[in-house]
Amino acid sequence: MAKIKKKGTSGAAKNYTTRSQALRKLQISLPDFRRLCIFKGIYPREPRSKKRVSKSSTPSTTFYYTKDIQYLLHEPLLGKFRDQQSLAKKISKALGRNEVSGAVRLERNLGVKIKLDHIIKERYPTFVDALRDLDDALSMLFLFASLPSTENVPPKTIAKCQRLTLEFEHYLIRTHTLRKSFLSIKGIYYQATLHGQDILWLVPYRFVQRTGGDVDFRIMGTFVEFYTTLLSFVNFRLYTGIGLVYPPKLDAKSEESGAELSAFTLSGQGEGAEQTEGDGMVDREAQEKAQAAADELLALPAPASEAEEQMPTSPQADQNGDDADAPEATTTLDQFTNLDPNADTLLQPSLTADVQAAAALFEPFTIFLSRETPRHPLEFILKAFGCKRVGWDTSLGEPGAYCGEDDSGITHQIVDRPDLPLPSPPLTEDGVDEDGMLDDGVDDSLAAAKRPSNVRVPGRVYVQPQWVWDSINAGMLQRADLYAPGATLPPHLSPWVKAKKGAYDPTLPLAEQEAEGEAEEADGDSEDEEVDEEDADDALDDASEGEEIDGVRGDAEARDLEDELVDDGMDVHLGGSDSEVKDEVVAGAAEADEWGGFSGDEDVDDASASKEARAHQAELEAEARGLAPGVLGDAKKVAREAGKSKRAKEEREALEETERRKLMMPRRKRKMFEKMVYSNAQRDEGAEKLRGKRRKIESGKTKVSAK
Amino acid sequence: MSQRAGQKRKVVEVPAPEVEEDADQLDLGALNGDFDGESEEDADEESEEDEDELEDDDELASDEIPSSEDEEEVRQQFQDMKTSNGHSKSAQSLMGSDTAKDVAAIATDTPITPLNSDDAADIPNYTVSTDANGNLRYIYGEIDPVYDSDDSDAVEPGNTIGNIPMSYYDAYPHIGYDINGRRIARPAKGEALDSLLDSIDIPEGWTGLTDPATGKPLELTSEQLETLKKLTRNETPGDGYDPYPDMVEWFTGKGKEEVMPLSAIPEPKRRFVPSAHEHKRVMKMVKAIREGRIKPYRAPLTEEEREREEEEQDFATYDVWATEQPREDHVMNIPAPKLPPPGYEESYHPPPEYLPDDEEKKTWEEQDDEDRDRDFLPRDHAALRKVPGYEQFVKEKFERCLDLYLAPRVRRSKLNIDPESLLPKLPDPAELKPFPTTNTTIMRGHEGKVRSISIDGSGKWVASGGDDGTVRVWEILTGRQLWRLKLSKDEAVNVVSWRPGNAESSILVACCGESIYFMVPQHELCTPEVDAKSREILDAGYGYAATAAPAQKTSAGADKPTAASWARTSATLQERGCLLSLTLRTTPKTLSWHRRGDYFSTVSPGSSSASATAIAIHTLSKHQTQYPRLRLRGLAQTTCFHPSKPLFFVATKVKVRIYDLQAQKMEKELLPGARWISDIALHPLGSNLIISSYDKRLLWHDLDLGATPYRVIRHHTKAIRAVAFHPGGLPLFADASDDGTLHILHGKVVGDSLENATIVPLKVLKGHRVVRELGVLGVEWHPREAWCVSAGADGTIRVWT
Repeated sequence: MAKIKKKGTSGAAKNYTTRSQALRKLQISLPDFRRLCIFKGIYPREPRSKKRVSKSSTPSTTFYYTKDIQYLLHEPLLGKFRDQQSLAKKISKALGRNEVSGAVRLERNLGVKIKLDHIIKERYPTFVDALRDLDDALSMLFLFASLPSTENVPPKTIAKCQRLTLEFEHYLIRTHTLRKSFLSIKGIYYQATLHGQDILWLVPYRFVQRTGGDVDFRIMGTFVEFYTTLLSFVNFRLYTGIGLVYPPKLDAKSEESGAELSAFTLSGQGEGAEQTEGDGMVDREAQEKAQAAADELLALPAPASEAEEQMPTSPQADQNGDDADAPEATTTLDQFTNLDPNADTLLQPSLTADVQAAAALFEPFTIFLSRETPRHPLEFILKAFGCKRVGWDTSLGEPGAYCGEDDSGITHQIVDRPDLPLPSPPLTEDGVDEDGMLDDGVDDSLAAAKRPSNVRVPGRVYVQPQWVWDSINAGMLQRADLYAPGATLPPHLSPWVKAKKGAYDPTLPLAEQEAEGEAEEADGDSEDEEVDEEDADDALDDASEGEEIDGVRGDAEARDLEDELVDDGMDVHLGGSDSEVKDEVVAGAAEADEWGGFSGDEDVDDASASKEARAHQAELEAEARGLAPGVLGDAKKVAREAGKSKRAKEEREALEETERRKLMMPRRKRKMFEKMVYSNAQRDEGAEKLRGKRRKIESGKTKVSAK
Repeated sequence: MSQRAGQKRKVVEVPAPEVEEDADQLDLGALNGDFDGESEEDADEESEEDEDELEDDDELASDEIPSSEDEEEVRQQFQDMKTSNGHSKSAQSLMGSDTAKDVAAIATDTPITPLNSDDAADIPNYTVSTDANGNLRYIYGEIDPVYDSDDSDAVEPGNTIGNIPMSYYDAYPHIGYDINGRRIARPAKGEALDSLLDSIDIPEGWTGLTDPATGKPLELTSEQLETLKKLTRNETPGDGYDPYPDMVEWFTGKGKEEVMPLSAIPEPKRRFVPSAHEHKRVMKMVKAIREGRIKPYRAPLTEEEREREEEEQDFATYDVWATEQPREDHVMNIPAPKLPPPGYEESYHPPPEYLPDDEEKKTWEEQDDEDRDRDFLPRDHAALRKVPGYEQFVKEKFERCLDLYLAPRVRRSKLNIDPESLLPKLPDPAELKPFPTTNTTIMRGHEGKVRSISIDGSGKWVASGGDDGTVRVWEILTGRQLWRLKLSKDEAVNVVSWRPGNAESSILVACCGESIYFMVPQHELCTPEVDAKSREILDAGYGYAATAAPAQKTSAGADKPTAASWARTSATLQERGCLLSLTLRTTPKTLSWHRRGDYFSTVSPGSSSASATAIAIHTLSKHQTQYPRLRLRGLAQTTCFHPSKPLFFVATKVKVRIYDLQAQKMEKELLPGARWISDIALHPLGSNLIISSYDKRLLWHDLDLGATPYRVIRHHTKAIRAVAFHPGGLPLFADASDDGTLHILHGKVVGDSLENATIVPLKVLKGHRVVRELGVLGVEWHPREAWCVSAGADGTIRVWT
């Protein structure tokens, strides 16, 4: 007789160990094990059959792969953890004996410093592997760089995170490898392509982060510890890869004063002298500082000489700069459009996919950032897309700005204010309104001394920050007038959504994506709702729509309306509501007799068998009525009705056919089929919902525009 | 032997005169009997010499006088010690005589010659004699191991007396004993030999001494003698002898001085020799210090310095990936999934259609965190400055961290295909026409359930029986009720069935309670000829019961109550057309006709009835009932007859058995796997069987294949009550279920067994109401058209065309 096999000695039972078994084997505490797992990237597994693996009946056991645990057994960090443990014991003993100095000495001399270099090498055997895993690391470090220091998050960690992230941004600026960015409600997403790897990370807006009670900073700290090591090695490799010295020199003083990116000085490996970042830039910085000091003393406006100096260095050909995006570069990619809708569409690289295109996007411009705009992201993005001359308000002493607001070389000014009037009323052709300048609470009196800060400087293009983002995502400069201060912005779209079959795409017109007859159906369904439906969404949209059509914000009334909207929110009822009602009446007049038809045919959907007969009857009726004059609407209605019934019949037949075919499927396959059908239906439903909303909005718009 | 024979021949070839001469001399010698030293004898004629010596020996032995003899004689003596002298002698003599005899046989009158001593070695070592019986007898002589024989035991013959003084033997004529225990004679000495000695040369090395150990003369070589001579004269014994060799200094000389200290004074320092090894090590350290690898002294760091140092260490100072080697991916290593990129709805200023309306907002807010399909609510901000901070940011990142190290990772392959491609390709139902699609006629009239229906062979009439105890006949085309007969007040009509056959007769059989009634429906469409013919068929069996096997008597003498009794019905029933009744003791629930219409079988599956009487086969023409002994396991459910072969199908609860009625044995057993079979239907060709079951399954058996079903069809949501094949050759079958639907399927059976049957679902016929969990109870096909009729629990009969 063969030997009786003991349970749990081979197969799946041997391949997996529970967490407590692992702890026993490694002889460490649970927090240490957690840290070790985080450092080593070890995660629990889901065995195919939990019952076969588990020896206990506890349902919620965590299983680890046995080989992972064995692999942890000869980890040098284990020794370090034990050292830490023994040191803690010694220190507590010393403290117990009231030997404070002894404890301090122990801690200083025997303090265990954990190095994670070997783990980085182990987890990421190649540099590309490390880049592939950089998403989470960057998001985390950017978050920690913006956190306030608490007892959980020591200031050293924060400083380190800030430094590493700024270094990384410097690299992106230097190599123009930033590709896309997106303003979301969570923060700003960035995407860079390094060594063929797309790295996507999220940077929070500059606000104090709310840290709830259920966040364990020890775990996050462990992650940050690992990620800082990783990012510093990645930075080293990136910097040395392009011949720069790592770490770059950090000017502690300017860093303290808030010069984020400009606190760093990048230097090449060959030459000892600092260079790069645009040598002119550095000069300019120094000049700027001196100038600021001088200004403070003399309280004089910035000298014109400096502005004149700039002029030759910056080749801004066009002052208007917005629509004259001359196609000067030949290396830029061309977009191919598919002429045949049936042909396969190839995935095309975005316009900013190559370095040259990215570096040339904002190159010719000198851009000034207003105080209210987020300076750091804009500076970073603009520089990453080729803009060398970015200025901002230095009144608070933030160094690194290229120029002040009064600089005449500025081509674009990014503002985020309701509206800015032009300074001198006779100059404006657009029409000036005085009520534009009241809102942002800027110290008017001070600015008014030399020049009202709230008025436009002629010769500059004023745009809202979204213009920058939309431009880089589109790979070309967008029309600046759409993004003018105070204008209702076009929707900001995520650059990462790929158009899928069956999914809704807001960039395409509605008619292209609708299923056959969907619009008609919806028309019928929503017509009754439309009468009473009149919400602020529509109002807002038709307001902006009107502007889009006009192109110019000339109309004072429109501006008025807009201001109201922007300031008070969306729940304002428009003044022209009575006219709309009238409009509704006019529109409804044509449709009045349709309603009668509907009420008569309401049960068409239900009685499927007799539907055709009824449709036929309706047709007959229509024919009979067709003799009489002025029943065109009836004919239309009947045609629609016929179409509807025909579609319904087709649908029903198709459904019957699939049912019949499904009967012949094996059960497992049928379940899979049903699952897929269900998920597809979910997707279609979502898309249809979106289309319905859009339809409603659009119809509202057209009505308003017609009015 | 041939060699020996050859030798003999050789002997024969010896010239005769010589032989004669020898013989003469031998004779002479023998006659003389004395040893004459002067007698001239040929040195080579040893045989003669031997002869003489032998004689001498004999003389010596007899005389016991150790006479002085010559050297040869001494040698001879020693030779003799080797072999047994006497034996050889006698052997020789014997041999000689034998050979002589042989020779004499060849050549008479030739004197016998002793053989040459050279040849003596070749003489066969045996003698031939006759034993007591007169047969030849070979007597083998002693083996003489000569010097170069391979007998390793042959030792030098010697004196065996051991190490004792020879003086003990002074008084004896011998000096000891040889190995064979024979005396060793003392060598001759004295005057008798002196003369001989004079005549013989002294052999080289002769010393005149006798080795006392052997008694032989001691011989010394000249060199030995010379050495002895020199030694006696105190001279150097040989040429190479050095009388004054150099001294070998074993314990004195250089390097063998005494090391024992002679004083206890400590070693002076001047004698210190520094260690080269230590010097080497020190130099290594010096080098390391010079190169800066070892820091000789490190001043304690201030707090600032320490911090700065730590800070420097925080940043990478070398490239980890300087020597990078890609590692191939392992199956068990699952990289962390990346977070999906943000969609449109996450934008700070999304397209308006992505904004939730009030209702969606409300549901989102009411939902738990886990149930939400996205973790944020899309919001629109008119300008970037209005975007607030995202409150959940840290929490989301923390949750991502938790996911990274706590969430089990599983690799899932995503099937990204069109679900349509999973559907099997089916032929278009339009190609499979005709099949029933719509309900054309509804026949109402039954109160309660309609339990059974049957369509007449001509396809004009439908008979039905139901809970109200009536049997009704309807016209199929119009749905008009033609005839109605109430059989029982309280018992339901379980089965109605038309007798198969042509249109000449129309006999309807109905099972009501324990009785089976045979009816000829009386209605206007029934012609008198048909009526008469039908009555004739029913009456044909009368009388058989009497002539059949005599009624079995019980022990009491009374008639044993028969299991089935055929009888005329009452007059009232006769009038209405019910002519014959058969009463069983059990309640038949199903009835199936044989194709010819003479036999039919009933099944009474009731638990009360014994299994032996559950299945009955009746003969209409003889009014006879038989109970086949089938020994079924489980309750019998239904039966049917094969259309062409004498096969009988019996379905029990879980199995279907096929019996050969001629051979009276079971042919096959089918295991459909159903838990409770409700009905079976046989294809008109008889090669395929459909089984319906109460556990919602329809099982298609190809009888040519194994015992398990070819297809299991599970379309109904409730129990299937009945199943029927189209009898008229259309490839259709239908089943009726408790969910109130009928399924029409296409089941094409090809005549040759190479091709499997194709089954295509065609149509679901809905119409019957479900009454108290019961839907459609029976289904029947029109004999020729693609029409079917169904009986529902709602009391209607529906015709589907």
